[in-house]
Amino acid sequence: MSDDKTTIQAESTATPPMDLDAVRARLAQEGGRRYWRSLDELTRNPEFDKVLEREFPRGASAMPEDGPSRRSFVKLMGASMALAGLTACGRQPTEYIYPFDRAPEHEIPGMPSYYATAVTLSGVASAVVAQKHEGRPTKLEGNPKHPVSRGKTSLFTQAEILGLYDPDRSHHMLRRGRPGTWEQFQAEIGEMLPEFEHTRGDGLYILSGSTTSPTMIDRMTTLRSKFTGAQWYRYEPVTRDAVYEAATLAFGRPMETHHRFDVADVVVSFDADFLCSGPHALRNARSWAERRRVLGNENLSLNRLYALESTPTLTGSVADHKYPLRPSQVEGLVRIVASRLGIGVAANESQTFEFVTPEVIDAIVADLEANRGKSIVIAGEEQTASTQALVHAINAVLGNNGQTVVYSNPVEESPGGQMAGLRDLVTDMKAGKVKLLVMLGGNPVYDTPADIAFEEALDQVGLAVHLSLGVDETSNLCHWHLPMAHDLESWGDARAIDGTVSIIQPMIAPLFDGKTPLDIVNVLLGDPGRTPYDTVQEHWRGIYGQEDAEGFERFWRTALADGFVADTALPAREASVDLSFAQALPAYAPSDTFELIFRADPTIYDGRFANNGWLQELPKPLTKTCWDNAVMIGMATSRSTNLGLDEKARVMLEDREALGGVYVLPGQPRNTAVVHLGYGRSRAGRVGDGAGFNVNALRTSDSPWMAAGAELRRTGLHYPIARTEDHFSIEHRRTIDKAASDRKLYREMNVAAFAAHPDYVGHMRHEIPDYVNMYPREAHAWDGHAWGMSIDLNSCTGCGACVVACQAENNIPIVGKDQVMAQRAMHWIRIDRYFTGEDLENPRAVNQPLACVHCEQAPCEVVCPVAATVHSKEGLNEMIYNRCVGTRYCSNNCPYKVRRFNFFHFSKRQYGGPAGIGWPYEKNTLWLARNPNVTVRSRGVMEKCTYCVQRISKARIEAKKDMRPIRDGEIRMACEQACPSDAIVFGDIKEQGTRLWDERHDPRTYAVLGDLNIRPRTTHMARLRNPNPALEPDHAEVEPLPGHEHGHEANGHHEESA
Amino acid sequence: MAQIFPKGANDFAVFSIVLVKLLAITALVAGFVIYRSPVVSEVGIQKAQPVPFSHHRHVAGNGMDCRYCHSSVEDSYFANIPATETCMGCHSQILTDQPMFDPVHASWESGDPIEWVRIHDVPDFVYFNHSIHIAKGVGCETCHGRVDEMRLTYKVHNMTMQWCLDCHRAPEKYLRPQDEVYTMGYTPTDPDTGEAISQLALGRRLVEEYDIKVGQLTNCTVCHR
Repeated sequence: MSDDKTTIQAESTATPPMDLDAVRARLAQEGGRRYWRSLDELTRNPEFDKVLEREFPRGASAMPEDGPSRRSFVKLMGASMALAGLTACGRQPTEYIYPFDRAPEHEIPGMPSYYATAVTLSGVASAVVAQKHEGRPTKLEGNPKHPVSRGKTSLFTQAEILGLYDPDRSHHMLRRGRPGTWEQFQAEIGEMLPEFEHTRGDGLYILSGSTTSPTMIDRMTTLRSKFTGAQWYRYEPVTRDAVYEAATLAFGRPMETHHRFDVADVVVSFDADFLCSGPHALRNARSWAERRRVLGNENLSLNRLYALESTPTLTGSVADHKYPLRPSQVEGLVRIVASRLGIGVAANESQTFEFVTPEVIDAIVADLEANRGKSIVIAGEEQTASTQALVHAINAVLGNNGQTVVYSNPVEESPGGQMAGLRDLVTDMKAGKVKLLVMLGGNPVYDTPADIAFEEALDQVGLAVHLSLGVDETSNLCHWHLPMAHDLESWGDARAIDGTVSIIQPMIAPLFDGKTPLDIVNVLLGDPGRTPYDTVQEHWRGIYGQEDAEGFERFWRTALADGFVADTALPAREASVDLSFAQALPAYAPSDTFELIFRADPTIYDGRFANNGWLQELPKPLTKTCWDNAVMIGMATSRSTNLGLDEKARVMLEDREALGGVYVLPGQPRNTAVVHLGYGRSRAGRVGDGAGFNVNALRTSDSPWMAAGAELRRTGLHYPIARTEDHFSIEHRRTIDKAASDRKLYREMNVAAFAAHPDYVGHMRHEIPDYVNMYPREAHAWDGHAWGMSIDLNSCTGCGACVVACQAENNIPIVGKDQVMAQRAMHWIRIDRYFTGEDLENPRAVNQPLACVHCEQAPCEVVCPVAATVHSKEGLNEMIYNRCVGTRYCSNNCPYKVRRFNFFHFSKRQYGGPAGIGWPYEKNTLWLARNPNVTVRSRGVMEKCTYCVQRISKARIEAKKDMRPIRDGEIRMACEQACPSDAIVFGDIKEQGTRLWDERHDPRTYAVLGDLNIRPRTTHMARLRNPNPALEPDHAEVEPLPGHEHGHEANGHHEESA
Repeated sequence: MAQIFPKGANDFAVFSIVLVKLLAITALVAGFVIYRSPVVSEVGIQKAQPVPFSHHRHVAGNGMDCRYCHSSVEDSYFANIPATETCMGCHSQILTDQPMFDPVHASWESGDPIEWVRIHDVPDFVYFNHSIHIAKGVGCETCHGRVDEMRLTYKVHNMTMQWCLDCHRAPEKYLRPQDEVYTMGYTPTDPDTGEAISQLALGRRLVEEYDIKVGQLTNCTVCHR
């Protein structure tokens, strides 16, 4: 069978040279109205046709390389068939029931309980409500009461559950590589303390991530007053140094900027992916979507978003105008805009940009001037301090400060200067000044930039202590490794990005006897007996309970129950800009060399989630790659360097180099490449090891986000990257060409055109008007609930939180890189990305979430030979796992391609790993992460979105017990609940006055493939674009509808769908 | 050439064909009989428990309500097996010197659970919920039989899908008023007049009264998901 496997890879490697000119001509001829999924589709790569032609790619039904051959498999099957009939007759194995010895109060056996707590990322808290089954946290949802979360979560938060149960977390303390104990650690530190007390802490160094924890800051203050010579450095690879540096330039002190997109009419983004990255993303996505989630065609008050970006982002994909810009040109453009708005900054008006023409700049400036006080200019946190400072100045000049842009003190302790601090630390380490280095989290050996030789310097440290979740690159080189307690196992506190404090309470006792940073600091303070719980409580008692013990108890219980401490958000601060800084900015010169852009990975961040299978396998937003980072280059660069897909490139920057797979990302500016942090881990664990390449080896601390003067070279090495962009393609097989466009899977309109022609969306594709039905179905006479869903493409940002939420809720396994490449990924919901537009160098990308749409006349049901997929009265297309025999006819007949087949009992070989090496089937901690209300599916069984039927069942039972109908909003799908921009809504399609009713009866609503007369219960709402009339004069026009040009075409398309 | 087989060999051939068929049918029937017999379904089979707990003594003898121990039956899918603490509520005072209580005392001392052998066990792909059945008037007795007469607990129904569907297709055959759910040995009576009526007449009234959507009860995802 190994032959088959090689064939898969060999086929995908044979990327024939793309005939770009022909493609360009074709796109131009179609006037940019075409939607395409990938370059392979556009160039009519024969590989793509093959993928479309087959339900699963060649070899997808084959056994894995390490498994038995097909022949021996048949032999085994013969033998097992003989016994198969008897297995059903076996008695149930004897099971035991283990009741409590003393039952906990308020706990109903079998029912989940919910607790509010928080998880942190780079020190910033995300408030969550954890669902616990029999004491195990199984799912995190946003905290609806919390001002930042408001019930929503990012994909990182959703994946924390898997991080908690990661079996590769370290189980033991390690003392110089051998098992050690907490007592030994305390003793060893205890021996050093008298000396530190004598020298006032000289040689005591602490390195942590950014922290916002009031208790931690308080303890560190105590520590530093006791040991005045002690040094505390903070380092995050996803550094926000420039953010604070810019604020210092503009306001004279570090500030945190908060944007209120809900009150902004015009937004100009200078290379900021504000909707999907950075600590503000969750709040930004919601407030931006509030101006996009519109109903009807009157009074449409959409905002307008201009995205000028050095690499395609999701923010760019939802923008009304998007222009690629080389990274070093961003500052130039900001200078021009600033000087046009009257800020005295040196600007080169004659600087030219490939896509940003003078007309575009004029239009943007005019739009900003017309919307003073109602606009937002935002720069990416990765931009130079000058750029970001100028953007502060622009907002000030436009009168946006205090209106759409609000400032507060930073939430983190001693913000900024982290790179400089790390350099100082390493200098001291090299000089042998560091007697004790305590690292509270972080992984500096892996993630420090290339110019900071942390690893070498670590040798010179007297005693290096590393607290971390797993034994990683750093722990391995330290004298002491201490397992860290996960946030869900710890007592602590942290601030959300608005400053609101959450008390972190443990959801489960530490699985592996982990310690929290507070434990370590208490040891350093000579107070090892003090628990984190006492430490946190005492800190808050000092603030809220000086006199009144009862009052404090009330405060404490309220704070824990609510999940946050009320009124602790940082107040808005007056921020006046002294514009004179603009003259003093360092000189700016654009680079014309090859530029390299560094970004945090959209799913595994700085590498801390590298061993998290859900995040590794989540197709990265926009690029749809997974299990790897890549050297992402545009079409022009691909041509000039002769580098193409599935090839390994050598990236050279000064004397440093790295080898990484190439991904061609249309829209990436020419002569630039973007690489993502977080990959190339050597000791991440069984999932993350060996995935991708380490770009920290290219990065420098003085310019961590971009570097000029890089060079790309071919290596001739073959390296396929798992890409899901062509997987589960809806395009009809016989009409591949332009299928997505012709069938109008994705619909969008300009606002002005929509206002004038509201019924246009519904007629883009001729829908069958009357209910033509061969089989009268009693389901439609049902007087009970009828479930349905609406997805608003206008507010969806494509971030992928829904995919991870679905995975967590529904026990969806990961399959590994090789299996993803064989199109066997198991995600029940996917986000289709289409490119559109005439220009291959600057196509627009659009995102469309799609899961099973629960067709009322489902094509899958009629072909199942064993009735394993049937219809329920409430309109669900039910999938009955224990009836399924795995013919896969249903998937074949599914026009949406949303059914997933479990080829290899993926839930048992849970972690595929990038190399596809399965784990032995073991009862490991991952079992604890499973939702007990959802069946863990077995091999050979089809599965798909169930509309979270376990949630429906639960609500139905509760409602029936109370003899009432299920209330609107009582059932929330996992995807809906997580969605940061609230683009998904679920409910009863027959109930009036609900959000679902309004959306389903909105003129923007359409059914994907509705022309097949299969009546999907999930409908989508067309996206609206709000372009600047000055830039798109024909924005209010609509194209003549194809069906209306030459009469009814419904019949003609029947043949297609037959 | 002379015949090798005598003429009677034809009969043997026919006989052997019939015999093989008969054997096959017998095997199938036997298989089915065994499959439906207590050997597999464990109906009526008492199992040794760490403590020989007698429902007869507690329910018929002491008149205890089911919910005293099975406390979550109205709220949860799981009816609850009482904590050692519940046993000790009485048995720290009563019959404390009996050796059969040793496992209870041991559990109380050590904190380790008592290891009860499960009697009623539906497959893992069945998501059975006690609370909704209780709320809609399915008596304990309907599924678990006369528990008040059991010394060691045993199953009285085989709990196959067919058995479940019998009620899910026609719940009127079994329903009783909500306040009679915990009654043992219930006979259908008119809730208003107190006169004996037929189960079907009562059941039809209750289906109406409890708003049971019978058509939905056979939807697969009601039990499987």
